[in-house]
Amino acid sequence: MNPTPPVPAQPTTDTVLAEITGMLGTLLAEYGEDDAVIGMSTTFNRDLELESIDLVTLAGLLEERYGRRVNLAEFLAGMEFDEIIELTVGRLVEYVVWSLKATEAG
Amino acid sequence: MAMIDAGGIRLHVQRMGPPDGRTPHATVVLVHGLLTDSLASYYFTVAPAFAAAGLDVVMYDLRGHGRSERPPDGYTLDHNIDDLDALLDRLGITGPVHLVGNSYGGTIAFGYAARHPERAAGLTLIESEPATAAWAAKLGGILRRVVTQLAYNEPDAIAWITANRGHNTARLAKGAARLARETTLGRDIPASRVLTEEQIRAVRCPVLGVYGGDSDLVDLVPLKQALLTDFRPVVLPGHEHSVLVEAAATVGAHILDLIRSVAGAGAGAGVR
Repeated sequence: MNPTPPVPAQPTTDTVLAEITGMLGTLLAEYGEDDAVIGMSTTFNRDLELESIDLVTLAGLLEERYGRRVNLAEFLAGMEFDEIIELTVGRLVEYVVWSLKATEAG
Repeated sequence: MAMIDAGGIRLHVQRMGPPDGRTPHATVVLVHGLLTDSLASYYFTVAPAFAAAGLDVVMYDLRGHGRSERPPDGYTLDHNIDDLDALLDRLGITGPVHLVGNSYGGTIAFGYAARHPERAAGLTLIESEPATAAWAAKLGGILRRVVTQLAYNEPDAIAWITANRGHNTARLAKGAARLARETTLGRDIPASRVLTEEQIRAVRCPVLGVYGGDSDLVDLVPLKQALLTDFRPVVLPGHEHSVLVEAAATVGAHILDLIRSVAGAGAGAGVR
């Protein structure tokens, strides 16, 4: 296994999108899906057909990569049910970038 | 993700604790419902607030559900209670815990509390009831519909659900159909051993009952009031069976109130 590069000091939307795309690829591979095209407007529910239990796994992958400052459970617990259904990859990317910057500043 | 061997079955467990590393004041065990449900219904709703309130939060996927192992058979209520028993043993949780169950998860939680009254500090039943003959008959009817309409005529049923209930529900229904088709769950649950009135009365801890105002389970409130020493019903108007995910903040606040009241009544430290 290749060593994971350290989280960059100045995470950008592009780098975080690339990393989350990689995590989603791992998740989707379990369903035999390996050709999904993932971008900022991709929805977890309708486009990727991920179930909420898959998002629990994603929460674990995010914590492994970025530490406890990226907390998907807390992020989603603050949303209405319909918002979660409509959640896009882009919104998660922005949350991750924001969390990493917020902890850096704090 | 933690997979834990709970007496011969591998169960997916997630645990959250106080974010600042404080020692938790109490343990709360969250049990999800049947077929379309998983621990995610807690993980993304009430669990973060419970952890922030200083609790040790234990969530797991029932056998056959979520990321837990799916054996072809062994789906009676007693199997589920045995799993919970073995899981808490494996986690080294021996003291009294707060149990929360959604729908069938509440039936499991109640069964655990009836088996070990001394290990239940408090019990929350969300849209749920103890296992009685009437419960088994009702579940039998629901499961028969799932098995006949979904598992054996899936394309038509899924098309109807997609048109009437939306894409998300349809996908969950596909998962439910798979579980019903590949396992004996549909036969096992209605054939479960149910509780006697005496066993129900043995549960003496405070019991919070949360119901959607538009759910038929509200009709069971008087029955539970008659049988349980300390029953606290809460009815949330405008909701049906999915009240946990639809009104998570309100449901979570009621559960924390119950936990605080138990801590306040005992000698232990309170939950902040």
